Amino acid sequence: MELKTRRMLDRSFTTIGVFAIVLMAVSLVILLQPIVWRGAGAFIFRETVENRKLNLELLGRGSRAKVEIEITETEAARKPVYDMMAAFEAEMEEGGSAFRKQYGREYSELRDMLSELLGPLPGEKNPVLIRAQYGRTRWDRAQVKFHQIRYVEKYDYSDPDRMGVKIEKPRSALFESTSIEPLFGYLEENIEQMMLPKLTFYWRFLFDRSFDAHFFGGIWPEVLGTFYLALGAMLFAVPLGIVTAIYLAEYAGESRFVSLLRTCISSLAGVPSIVFGLFGLAFFINTMKISNGKSVLAGSLTLAFLVLPTVIRASEEAILAVPRTYKEAAMSLGAGKWHTIISVILPAALTGILTSIIISLGRAAGETAPIIFTAAVSVGRPLAIWQTLSQPSPALSWNIYNLATEHEAVDEIRHVQYGMVLTLVAMVLLLNLTAIIIRARISKKLRG
Amino acid sequence: MNDRIYEHTESDLRSRLLMSRGTRRHRRLGALAGDTVLIVIASSSLIALLFIFYFIIKDAIPFFQIEGVREFFTSTRWYPSREDAEFGALSILVGSTLVTTGAVVVAVPMGVLAALCLSDILPFSMRQVVKPVIEMLAAIPSVVYGFFALVVFAPLLQEKGGSLLSVGALIVLVPVSIIGVGVASDLIGARFSEGSRGVARIASAAVLSIAVILVLYQLNRFLGGLRIVSGTNALNASIILGIMALPTVVSVSEDALNAVGRELREGSYALGATRAETLLRVVIPAAKSGILAAVILGVMRAVGETMVVWMASGNAARIPQPIFNYLEPIRTLTATIAGDMGEADHVTGSARYHVLFAMAFCLLVFAFVSNFVSEMILRRSRKQLG
Repeated sequence: MELKTRRMLDRSFTTIGVFAIVLMAVSLVILLQPIVWRGAGAFIFRETVENRKLNLELLGRGSRAKVEIEITETEAARKPVYDMMAAFEAEMEEGGSAFRKQYGREYSELRDMLSELLGPLPGEKNPVLIRAQYGRTRWDRAQVKFHQIRYVEKYDYSDPDRMGVKIEKPRSALFESTSIEPLFGYLEENIEQMMLPKLTFYWRFLFDRSFDAHFFGGIWPEVLGTFYLALGAMLFAVPLGIVTAIYLAEYAGESRFVSLLRTCISSLAGVPSIVFGLFGLAFFINTMKISNGKSVLAGSLTLAFLVLPTVIRASEEAILAVPRTYKEAAMSLGAGKWHTIISVILPAALTGILTSIIISLGRAAGETAPIIFTAAVSVGRPLAIWQTLSQPSPALSWNIYNLATEHEAVDEIRHVQYGMVLTLVAMVLLLNLTAIIIRARISKKLRG
Repeated sequence: MNDRIYEHTESDLRSRLLMSRGTRRHRRLGALAGDTVLIVIASSSLIALLFIFYFIIKDAIPFFQIEGVREFFTSTRWYPSREDAEFGALSILVGSTLVTTGAVVVAVPMGVLAALCLSDILPFSMRQVVKPVIEMLAAIPSVVYGFFALVVFAPLLQEKGGSLLSVGALIVLVPVSIIGVGVASDLIGARFSEGSRGVARIASAAVLSIAVILVLYQLNRFLGGLRIVSGTNALNASIILGIMALPTVVSVSEDALNAVGRELREGSYALGATRAETLLRVVIPAAKSGILAAVILGVMRAVGETMVVWMASGNAARIPQPIFNYLEPIRTLTATIAGDMGEADHVTGSARYHVLFAMAFCLLVFAFVSNFVSEMILRRSRKQLG
């Protein structure tokens, strides 16, 4: 090949390599961007008057006087809507069966949607479910509902080679020249007065329990459950892991047994997480019967097995990083082996071990598969610490899956899902960041 | 050796100066007990592994006793909840294989290139920036990747799938084909005599680039016209899994590349090779076993991953038609275990419960074997490199 081509190849190789790195960074950004942006929407959003009503009646938050003023204000703005509806209902009564046939279905659909937007209509019985007792509490959801009220969605399948095309038609056309037609124009102009959206910072999202299958409220039971599970796992894994690491680093030589042990540790690290879950179910729950069905304890034990290899490896590294001179100095002063380990090596390796614990904690907090069969439920109250021995708990990781796939109204509670994802990611990344900072400090110290 | 000398002098000193016989015996007994306890605790991971194997096998055996081995591995009829249940897991095994292959196709080229960049190309200061990016990718929980795949990526794929695919293909293929045309025309030019070389190069480059442009145009049209019925499919799961497996591939192969000595690189440079030639012809061949181990570990990560495939792959237990059609939903072993245990758990002892353990057994054996192989490879390469 000519020199020019070789140089070009060299340069393009470098470019492609850098491109791979950039692609990796970009995928991280693409992944995190919607999580951060929409996750923040769970905490900072525009609430409607319905949310303030809910806060007052359900949780006793906010000032009653202010909310009542707002309620009278919005009721005044809503009154024409209710009046128009009443007028139309009267028109239907009079219009006879042909009229009813033409408008009956459309009207009841409209009525349902208005009730979802504004809360129970006058004259309706108080519904059982909390979600039906209030209108849309979030302005973004209210706008979506409002859009549905204004437009009828239809799909056009006339072209068989393409997917159905969405077409939106104004709903007012359905009610042309009836007494309810002006309703749409009125809504258009007065929707803000009817809902009074206001920016709010709902920091209690982290500390509230959830209401009505996560429609309202926060994620405290999940956060707490994740804490219990992860901390419980570390409670079992850390002592075992550190002792094993001490053995491997300080006692073991190069015997057959030690190499078997090392193979076991790396195999354990390679076992798929879902297999840990099945093992936890078969061993801790079905065989040992440590609890009657799922429990946080069983989940923690399962997770402990999962993070054990990580703890061992990182702790061993930390112990091996302690300069040999420390050990030699201690021994030359007459300290025994144990004494040296306890009073010299472990303190010197402590920060490194701490890093390993922090990283494993993050890993345990994020794992889902091992806790599906052993610890996680989809809805639950926050547990007291002694209840973790016998009761299951919701956890962030499991509930993200559960709410995103199995919930009855997945789209309605998107913000809760994103809020959970953001909380989990923030937790895990903060833990890792701490570990990175500690590690940077250690390496600085070791460099002198 | 050193240790023994210390211990020797230590005990000598003690016996001469410090302790009576009784204390010595106590000490020795204490040390013996301590060592035993230490070894027992240190074996906890060995015990854990044995327990896992025992309990998975114990619950997997009844399935093979009831239903036999053949149906499980050869039939594609998966109807576990019917009255006359059928447990043909072939389509599920194929699904796992497909997704893993896809993930490897995404992760390995990108991962190895990134590792090369980290070990040889980027300056030290940039490395300090890139490393945390990789660590963050590794730290993000799998359910978050799954959530992204389901909520963000799947709708995108469904709505703009065709154009997304064609843009992606162009991003990868355009640089590759430019380099390919450059190299090919150079090689063709070299066959001609000195005088006509330049003309031959230009002519062949022109012909080749027209051909490549035509091919790319057709491919682009084909991909752009594709209709993706469901955003949750094998492609989605493969891409996300590939990104998840990236950190493993990068860090293990970077270790392998760093283990290749400076002397080899410098020797190659001294012979006049460019950096790309050094990397491709010297460093990668020397590190190939380590890179192979990285690939195996990446495969393990992809096979054993649950949440992403459960959320992103569509969970349809059938073999895509044709088999490389990544746009169809598929189902994997891990997702089947996760999804079916909820219902099967109530009927402990039924074939439906035990079949999931049989699947877990397959996963376990696969993980164990590939881990063993990668260990062997790494150990041998370490010995070779000295």
